[in-house]
Amino acid sequence: MAYSDKVIDHTENPRNVGTLDKEDPNVGTGLVGAPACGDVMRLQLKISDDGTIQDAKFKTFGCGSAIASSSLVTEWVKGKTVDQALTLSNKDVARELALPPVKIHCSVLAEDAIKAAIADFRKKRAARQAP
Amino acid sequence: MTHFDVFGLPPRYTLDAADLEKRHRALALEWHPDRAAPSDARAHRVAVERTTALNDAYRVLKDPIRRAFYLLALAGVDLDHAGGGPRDLPIEMLEEVLELREALAEAKTAKDFPRARELAARVEAERTGALAAAVLCLELVETSPANPVAVKKASHQLSRVRYFTRFLEEADALEEEAL
Repeated sequence: MAYSDKVIDHTENPRNVGTLDKEDPNVGTGLVGAPACGDVMRLQLKISDDGTIQDAKFKTFGCGSAIASSSLVTEWVKGKTVDQALTLSNKDVARELALPPVKIHCSVLAEDAIKAAIADFRKKRAARQAP
Repeated sequence: MTHFDVFGLPPRYTLDAADLEKRHRALALEWHPDRAAPSDARAHRVAVERTTALNDAYRVLKDPIRRAFYLLALAGVDLDHAGGGPRDLPIEMLEEVLELREALAEAKTAKDFPRARELAARVEAERTGALAAAVLCLELVETSPANPVAVKKASHQLSRVRYFTRFLEEADALEEEAL
């Protein structure tokens, strides 16, 4: 199966690969997996107190489409608000990367990772605000 | 028709490998396309289809790992379909996999082949353990089919098996580099 140029570009030059401090109260971590493919994806967001995503990092072990999907979403969400990031859909990712039907689940994984990272951030914040 | 039906066997994990081989050989002879009359195109086609199904079934059932994945698919969780499988893996399992993959990536960067081998040996043992744990759950499903907890546990353990297999493929590729 041939990868699209955009997938190849993101696979060869992935953006925002790395790690943020998991213990930082402003960092939310999302860890998701596609077990059938053996893919695992960690996506981290640094979110300011006013709800803006200041930084995004990811680490993905998996196929080119999974790496490209996570690389693309980290680019997209930077500078966005949490609410804007939550409206991001896997369909946007799949369209931008021209993913074939058998690789759509890779874009779903990236969407899940963003949602999981934001959920983690919100949980941390709620814990911080609890008396 | 399931792969087990092809051989006239019950859908159970435990099977006698020698008996399976014997059944395969007998059926392969019986259904061989050469036995169809050369003029009968339809009979020939049917024989080819049956033989293909027979060989597929044999390939899956004779392999202890594939057989476990197949039984899980019969129980409703298809880990052989891209994007399939459980979506509720415990976070510790994903952390375990990510940490192992990171350690292997580090060994690769540092060209630390002994370290990669050590990791691979550990993962191989983990995979054996995960398969054994999955089989225990699958056997529970055999005796009491409506057992969602056992199906779920089997799906988690076989997810680990799949992750560990991917890890070992990466480690093998690295080993090739070392040579």
